Amino acid sequence: MKPFTYILPRSLPEAATAAARKGAQLKAAGIDLIDRMKERIETPSEVVNLLSLKGELSYIKSERDSGLRIGALTTLNDLELDAALGAAQFGALREAAGRTATPLVRNRATIVGNLLQVTRCWYLRSAAFGCLHGKKGPACLAMTGENRYHSVMGYFDCVRVHPSNLAPALLALDAEFTSQLGDRQSRRKLSELFPKEARAMLAEHTLLPGEIVTAIHVPAQPANARSAYRESREKLSFDWATTACAARIVVEGGKIRTATLVLGAVAPVPMPMPEAAKLLIGEAPSDELFQKVANAAYQSAVPLSQNVYKVQVGKAVVRETLHAITR
Amino acid sequence: MIDPGKVLATFCINGEEQACAFVSHRTLLEVLREDLQLTGTKHGCELGECGACTVQINGVPVLSCLMLAVDAIGQQIRTVEGLADGPALHPLQDAFADLGAAQCGYCTPGLLMTAEALIARDPCPSREAIKQGLAGNLCRCTGYLKIFEAVELAAARMRGENPVPKRETIYGS
Repeated sequence: MKPFTYILPRSLPEAATAAARKGAQLKAAGIDLIDRMKERIETPSEVVNLLSLKGELSYIKSERDSGLRIGALTTLNDLELDAALGAAQFGALREAAGRTATPLVRNRATIVGNLLQVTRCWYLRSAAFGCLHGKKGPACLAMTGENRYHSVMGYFDCVRVHPSNLAPALLALDAEFTSQLGDRQSRRKLSELFPKEARAMLAEHTLLPGEIVTAIHVPAQPANARSAYRESREKLSFDWATTACAARIVVEGGKIRTATLVLGAVAPVPMPMPEAAKLLIGEAPSDELFQKVANAAYQSAVPLSQNVYKVQVGKAVVRETLHAITR
Repeated sequence: MIDPGKVLATFCINGEEQACAFVSHRTLLEVLREDLQLTGTKHGCELGECGACTVQINGVPVLSCLMLAVDAIGQQIRTVEGLADGPALHPLQDAFADLGAAQCGYCTPGLLMTAEALIARDPCPSREAIKQGLAGNLCRCTGYLKIFEAVELAAARMRGENPVPKRETIYGS
């Protein structure tokens, strides 16, 4: 790791000011960042340690309208075990948090760190390769190279995959986020945290330099809503998903009234699938219906040379998610 | 603010305060092993995957390879060296030795630290809870069965029982 100046901010505005400086890098637990710094993919001259604001930014609060407000530095372990997340409506978030990496990682890894971790694309994460997204080469090396874990949809000139498993769950629950830029705070839809067009030269998030996500809001869910998150992976422990699906459904009188469906690990950004979710509305839950929805969710898939399997497996994961909610 | 270069700090390790001058960008693992000579904590994958570097911070098992040493200043650090009470081994260490739960022994310090926190939280953990709890510690020798049995045995002995370990085999019980 290259030496750096370590900034210990005493307040959020101080952290935001420090983080806006050239060469500065924000750090929460640092699970992903320290890894990249050791590999010398990231060599910041200043590291701004948000952990010094842990007292202020680590909490899970139930809001008056029965939604949740979650501090940016809340650990995945806290999310998995908090009683407020025990309700069936928040099942997707609890399940996604509880499946991440290993218990040792979850003891420190934070909710926003999970959302803002950098893609696991091995070309980007190796100092030995120069890829377009890493701004060190002329082309996406995975497009024609080793791409079994890469995108099957939603890509342009870079086939990296968005690695966060909390992102699909939070998007399925219509989450929002609050961020601090200088002394200004703003609250936006979580979908706005990710770029609309996942181009190689764009960052993996839409935050401005020095902008700090301070909280995640999970709004009150519709009455009788249930949600679930399922993923496929190669290892039972310490692995990222090969495909993922989160959904939230309201069933009333035997018919599905509302539905959201979000895919993860199949594109450079988490992929909400409103058209596929629409097929569920007004129907009674059945495997035949879920197959139709899964096919629709993967209709736009254009797999690469080594990841055709993702389409098949991903459809099964969509079905499993929907069954898990409605069974 | 901590400038690049050496810092002088006092760590609280295994209940003792230890002053240490170390390079500020070092990980906790590097400082423990190389600056404080506490080599019981092992250096494994450096990626957070294997759990060999597990130590406890304020009683919570964490990966010291992915934690900056400066982040551990002012926290209660516990390493495998702090497990035994003088010459008396911790019940987990005894159980690991009794049941042959260590072969090459490289993963053992990490497993002990994770298992100790697990038993502190849940004095009577089920086999499933042990499996889930130890999911971040890789062992390439034992196949885990003896480790699970050793944790069960240690937990039982710590509850004051003296049980015969379960005889599950890889072919089923």
